[in-house]
Amino acid sequence: MAAPIAERERTPAGTEFNPQIGVEISGIHFANPVLTASGTFGYGQEFARLIDLNQLGGIVVKGISAEPMEGNPPPRIYETEAGMLNAIGLQNVGARRFVEEKLPFLRGLRTRTIVNVFGYTTEDYVRAIEILNDGSGIDAYELNISCPNTRAGGMVYGNDPRLTAEVVAASKRAARRPLWVKLSPNVTDITELARAAESAGADALTLVNTFVGMAIDIETRTPRVSNVTAGLSGPAIKPVALRMVYQTARAVRVPVIGIGGIASAEDALEFIIAGASAVQIGTANFYAPDTALRVVEGIRAWCRSKRLNLSDVVGSIKIPPSAASPVS
Amino acid sequence: MTRMYDEIVAVTENRPLTGGHFLLSLRAPRQAQATRPGQFAMVRLLGRSDVLLRRPMSVYDVSPTTRPPRAAGKRGANAHRQPEILQLLYKIVGRGTRLMAELRPGDSVGLAAPLGHGFFAEEYLEEARRADEVLLVTGGIGIAALLLPARELATAGIKSRLFFGGRTRADLVGVQDFESSVAGITLATEDGSKGHRGYVTEPLANYLERHRGRKFLLMVCGPWGMLRASAELAKRHGHACLVSMENRMGCGLGVCLGCSIRVEGTGHGAYERVCTEGPVFNAEHVIWAREEIPKI
Ligand SMILES: Cc1cc2nc3c(=O)[nH]c(=O)nc-3n(C[C@H](O)[C@H](O)[C@H](O)COP(=O)(O)OP(=O)(O)OC[C@H]3O[C@@H](n4cnc5c(N)ncnc54)[C@H](O)[C@@H]3O)c2cc1C
Ligand SMILES: Cc1cc2nc3c(=O)[nH]c(=O)nc-3n(C[C@H](O)[C@H](O)[C@H](O)COP(=O)(O)O)c2cc1C
Ligand code: FES
Repeated sequence: MAAPIAERERTPAGTEFNPQIGVEISGIHFANPVLTASGTFGYGQEFARLIDLNQLGGIVVKGISAEPMEGNPPPRIYETEAGMLNAIGLQNVGARRFVEEKLPFLRGLRTRTIVNVFGYTTEDYVRAIEILNDGSGIDAYELNISCPNTRAGGMVYGNDPRLTAEVVAASKRAARRPLWVKLSPNVTDITELARAAESAGADALTLVNTFVGMAIDIETRTPRVSNVTAGLSGPAIKPVALRMVYQTARAVRVPVIGIGGIASAEDALEFIIAGASAVQIGTANFYAPDTALRVVEGIRAWCRSKRLNLSDVVGSIKIPPSAASPVS
Repeated sequence: MTRMYDEIVAVTENRPLTGGHFLLSLRAPRQAQATRPGQFAMVRLLGRSDVLLRRPMSVYDVSPTTRPPRAAGKRGANAHRQPEILQLLYKIVGRGTRLMAELRPGDSVGLAAPLGHGFFAEEYLEEARRADEVLLVTGGIGIAALLLPARELATAGIKSRLFFGGRTRADLVGVQDFESSVAGITLATEDGSKGHRGYVTEPLANYLERHRGRKFLLMVCGPWGMLRASAELAKRHGHACLVSMENRMGCGLGVCLGCSIRVEGTGHGAYERVCTEGPVFNAEHVIWAREEIPKI
């Protein structure tokens, strides 16, 4: 455990201070608070030729469903100002092939493996988790609830507190590992969904997933992405994601993991100061695969210069007493 | 998989050509030496968040240096030198390529290369060896993917011929670079300003017709309509055909699944990644249906 702040402050200035940047979330220890986000890092192996994966806090793999999924026809992506739209359609190899073909590689790493899980009915989620329960080398599940429930008229799980509670409770019962819940930002009040997930048994909350957006080609008057609407990610979403993380961290007791447009240690520190215990890097992996490692080093350097451990920084935002209400 | 290098590299030259085309030379010895014909690079414009994603660009050429060194006269001196310069031939079409055109010697870009399966990936080598002649077929900026294959074929003693089409003569860039490697060059422009007036697939069809009984392999890179027309011609005449496909790319590294196109009969599954399983595919495996066309 870290030395109490009072004790550290007595260490003479000038001596090297080695900050603790490890973090414990849902009973799992992470060597640092930087993970790679689902859908932006494949199954890890693709990046092994680019960076030292063992330096990451964790890898969240591409969303896995009980059965393999084909995904959407092209075009699936479109670049926008400081961001991108994607409607991949959750193409994945399915839980069984994931366990057989992808997990052995991840098991060999020192970094943590989190498996992102999704489905279109509550039973789908449960079935995927049951298959994954048999795989060894998974540290936690992350439930992607930004999916339409085909039994509830296509209502997105994560947009409705009742559906959120239903799928989280059922998944929690099935899961033999800690259950994180990844919130959809496409809601009016994120804290309502956050509380619903927490009450239903979530061990941690991760946010945000992508914002639903769109783009149109004015020459052909057709949508730029075949699915018509698509998820916006990248630096463009950072301020909104940060606000949601801030609100959520104040509304729940479970740890919050911040995601959304993070491309530097400074970005990550904003989320941590707002209340995130850890962060995930998404779109930045596409154009700068070394981002996560630079963020780890940057956080360490910042903590060293401030003579603070990471735990001192989480949620350490200073709100002036005269400040207006958080959302205005 | 060959080694891939992702580094910040220096621009040594950015030469304007006709019709809004440019030839960008980068000092990138590791990428240049590892590249096989038909592979591509992802180029990142640094310090800009409005052009966020990297741009896919074929590796046009690799060379020891851009300027002939002192020993340029003595042929032998350069022959054993490993390439240090990697060249991209590109056309301004949007904001990323517009910014690329502003690069000056001494500027830097991010370069990840080589990427993807090129024309001589193991499963295609047999096809090349079996052919009497390889027909390199391209339209517009697709030419950028075909210079290294032309060189490789020449080195291997396999005869090749270039069919190159554009909208107008200013689009026909780089033709002189092919002259020493190919047995013949057929040009076409839609406006008739150079060569055959019309699509390049028309003289291609005539050529195939006139040389029935010979075994050709087609290597094609260009707009979708041209790829499909060439694939149909090849099929009708019973020739093998390799097509280099284009799609928007989020990462070029195989993780975003943004570049997938529907492909069949390859054993990898219905959608395959242009950046990883491609960009070169056997035309017979590509599903040419309307709704599966990447409308870029
Ligand atoms: C494997 C491959 C090799 C290529 N090789 C070359 C080459 O050698 N020379 C060359 O000039 N062009 C090449 N292209 C096309 C080139 O990538 C696009 O012209 C370029 O990305 C356009 O960027 P922009 O910012 O100017 O255009 P914008 O329209 O502003 O780009 C917006 C987004 O769409 C994408 N995009 C736009 N057009 C295309 C396209 N035709 N293909 C793929 N993505 C596109 C961009 O990458 C960007 O993400 C290649 C494409 C692929 C897939
Ligand atoms: C191409 C792409 C695919 C994604 N796939 C998934 C997925 O399968 N499951 C999921 O929960 N989130 C997925 N996401 C969302 C990211 O994990 C992340 O929440 C989001 O992109 C915001 O972070 P960023 O701005 O750092 O990218 C995907 C994002 C992108 C860009
Ligand atoms: S471009 Fe991302 S998987 Fe091909």
